[in-house]
Amino acid sequence: MSTVESRPTAPARPAAEPARAPGRPPKEFDRPRFLKLFMGVFFLFLFAPIVLVVLFSFNSSRSLQDFQGFSTRWYETFFESESLRESLVASLEIALVTMVIGTILGTMLAYGLVRARTRVSSSLNVLMLVPLVTPEIVAGASALLLFTQVKLELSLTTIILAHITFSISYVTVVVRARLVSLSHEVEEASMDLGATRWQTFRLVTLPALWPAVVAAGLLVFALSFDDFVLSFFTTGESPQPLPVRIWTQIRFGVRPTINAIGTFMLVISVVSIGLALLLPRLFGRRESGLKVLLGREAA
Amino acid sequence: MSADTVRAHSAEPSASAIRFEGVTKRFGELRAVDALDLEIEKGEFFSLLGPSGCGKTTTLRMVAGFEQPTEGHIYLDGEPVETVPPYRRNVNTVFQSYALFEHLDVADNVAFGLKRKKVSSDEIRTRVAEALELVELHGREKARPRELSGGMKQRVALARALVNRPSVLLLDEPLGALDLKLRKQMQVELKGIQREVGITFLYVTHDQEEALAMSDRIAVMEHGLVKQCSSPEDIYEHPSGPFVAGFIGTSNLLSGVVENGCVKLASGATCVAEVPSDCPQGAEVHLSVRPEKIWLDELEEGMVEVGGTIVERVYVGTTTQVIVELGPGMRVTALEQNVARARSDDRWQIGDRVRLGWHREHARVLR
Repeated sequence: MSTVESRPTAPARPAAEPARAPGRPPKEFDRPRFLKLFMGVFFLFLFAPIVLVVLFSFNSSRSLQDFQGFSTRWYETFFESESLRESLVASLEIALVTMVIGTILGTMLAYGLVRARTRVSSSLNVLMLVPLVTPEIVAGASALLLFTQVKLELSLTTIILAHITFSISYVTVVVRARLVSLSHEVEEASMDLGATRWQTFRLVTLPALWPAVVAAGLLVFALSFDDFVLSFFTTGESPQPLPVRIWTQIRFGVRPTINAIGTFMLVISVVSIGLALLLPRLFGRRESGLKVLLGREAA
Repeated sequence: MSADTVRAHSAEPSASAIRFEGVTKRFGELRAVDALDLEIEKGEFFSLLGPSGCGKTTTLRMVAGFEQPTEGHIYLDGEPVETVPPYRRNVNTVFQSYALFEHLDVADNVAFGLKRKKVSSDEIRTRVAEALELVELHGREKARPRELSGGMKQRVALARALVNRPSVLLLDEPLGALDLKLRKQMQVELKGIQREVGITFLYVTHDQEEALAMSDRIAVMEHGLVKQCSSPEDIYEHPSGPFVAGFIGTSNLLSGVVENGCVKLASGATCVAEVPSDCPQGAEVHLSVRPEKIWLDELEEGMVEVGGTIVERVYVGTTTQVIVELGPGMRVTALEQNVARARSDDRWQIGDRVRLGWHREHARVLR
């Protein structure tokens, strides 16, 4: 999963002031020191494996234990392999299409859920969260079942369909949070000033939602790009997305090329998340996508 | 900006700006607006006044087109507007929350309506500049709404609406979010702007002082019904019923019954009063007297007199409120001006017996 998913939840400060030792003057900022240690260990466990993968992707030998010198040979093997290149392109294609369609549909759903004001929308709100909590293996198996039932041949299309299904929920959650904070009066003001419903959406609502939409889209890109379980169930013979291809290769023994591919995927994920955080700023917004994703809205 | 440049262009000179004909709005069981008949003249500063939930905002939203009447018709400049969507009605709204577009600067906020109407960019520039001049915001064109104070945002919202030269400007408690001092100042400015541009203002407020200060006419509403619709003076001096008398300003409402053309108060005192013809002998009524109309002790010839005991004195700067008990549970508030010659504090102590009096035309008998 992406780095945003596993964002640090380290406790910032103790909830209550620690009990004062007798005979000692009260210290207002006497925070328990072990929490810092706790945080350090947390980050070590979080990042050490990733650092190792990156490091060993530049190893000159085949060994996965000893680092014997810098080399880019595993990257060369990666890019020289036609099937891996093909898989990379397939994965990018899946992620891109999923991002575009998922973001559009998710934004539309969020808009409908917030603005429709019907009795259905509260139950729809719950339904929408189901894909987020469904075990991916169940989602994958049921998607496979569905595609075989309707005799849809497994291919990139089926993967994309499956990915869009789960990505809509992510987009909706992120965009809806933003939409709720947008006063309905702003949209009324726009219509009051002569803008039709569609113009209002385009000129007022969407610009206000933009940071959330961009953040959600890039999040979906990252999620789709490195998704394995769902892709595994819904992929056709060829081309397979990169994570599935890697898994197929690992069955015949772990080779250092994996490290190179892993590092490469990491870079793509980090870049897309980075963009999600930075892009709204480049559009002249004060609030970054980080705030949007973490639900910390500027007032 | 000269008055001509923003004066509303009206289709029919004779028709009133807004006319409500039996307009009812129901939300489920609730009648938010109940069979409203009202006519608002061109160029009038008209206020809908009432407590929250009285239907005043719903009435405004029906004119703007955000709500549709359940029954009845609304006419703008003589034309029925049921089938006209909000974006094609020649009215503009100033919202309580200002509802500015945060992603646009001040100039683009004000130009928003003109751009939708495909006005040429040269004209947009002139008119935006004029509108910002009118609300004294020239020089802040490039500012973002978030950089402005509450009062400035309010002015941007006003300019954004006025620049379109609507035939009616709808204002939904536009000063509600401002602090008292700024609110007073804006009341005067708003009235001045209205006089300058000559556009009909339909103003919604729950602040009776604000309505009295600015309006040409006021409709006092309660539970979706118009209780009284008249000039500020008339509403204040001649309230039509206990609700209006109690809501506008402060009023002493003394309950009693009609007896031989007088009102016999619950305390036992009999007061001479002008009893309206629809109040028969024995009818339960309220006698309404404004605190500033009540005299203490030094009474004039021919005044209506009652006796009481002073129970409280509240010094509030320019005046002192004297609360007098006429009988068990029946209290009257009188206002004494704190002029140089006498502070009421010097004259009376709590527990003193005092004579109250008022001219009979200052007391209203309300059912």
